[in-house]
Amino acid sequence: MSHPFDTIEIGTRIDGVPFSPTRESIREFCEASLDFNPLHLDDEYMKGSFGKTQFGGIIMHGMNNFGVISKTLTDWLYPLGGVHRRLETRWKAPVKPGDTITAHAVVTARKVTGQSRWLTLDVGVRNQRDELVAQGEAMVEFPVT
Amino acid sequence: MSTPSGQAFETDFWKDEQLRKVWDQIIPGEPRKTIPYLLTLEAIQKYCRVVGDLHPLYFDEAYAKTTPYKGLIAPPAIHILLMFACTPADDWMRSPGTVNAGQSWSYNLPARPGDTIRLEARALDKFIRKDRLFVVHDNVFFNQHNQVICSGRGQTIRPA
Repeated sequence: MSHPFDTIEIGTRIDGVPFSPTRESIREFCEASLDFNPLHLDDEYMKGSFGKTQFGGIIMHGMNNFGVISKTLTDWLYPLGGVHRRLETRWKAPVKPGDTITAHAVVTARKVTGQSRWLTLDVGVRNQRDELVAQGEAMVEFPVT
Repeated sequence: MSTPSGQAFETDFWKDEQLRKVWDQIIPGEPRKTIPYLLTLEAIQKYCRVVGDLHPLYFDEAYAKTTPYKGLIAPPAIHILLMFACTPADDWMRSPGTVNAGQSWSYNLPARPGDTIRLEARALDKFIRKDRLFVVHDNVFFNQHNQVICSGRGQTIRPA
């Protein structure tokens, strides 16, 4: 009997469920993550500049992107018996209340190691204007049982 | 506000600002002070709800018991909560204006409700690039059995 790993080809694409942050959801993320950085709370503070960057209002936590990407991977992996092993991300643009973001992943490599089976994926998050707001790389494992 | 484990959590990140190390004072290699944290089901589910992740492995114990995980678990990205739950109010991760410039995390075992999580953390490196002050972070979370839950490396831009 073939294992799901054997049928996953390079180029396989996974699309996540759209996520629409609001001022309330950003506040709730503060409560749930205990990250009360004023970047996510204080509009007055956010009128200032940060080095060369001006945000012009509160922004969503970068780690909310991370959570949305991670969920996209686990939603795909759990039914296949796969394990989410690694996620690396960089933030490309801020996400603001009213935006809608969607994560995606594309399988870029397959590797059978001495004891297991692995996939590498490029991951990204795009907003409603199709701008890339986060990108990175993930690794998932399909353990040999 | 108090955390599910009953520890007081200071949500005003300005309050202890004078106590926190600035970029100049951060010594790469020096361990950060950390606090063990009792991870509750309530805290896990609160995190899951705000990122829209309602998978039954985090909510439905009867279902979770039928899976290879044999019970409820936390999602991999629960370290987002653990990073702040396991560090004290004067930790420099809380300095207002700290900007997250990227992260990489490796996952070993899932955290579970009822776990007491311990963090070993330090700055690993610091540098100036494009006129910005960067710190590289090194973090490892363990459960009460001293098993690694996950390990991560991150970069933040520090307030000048």
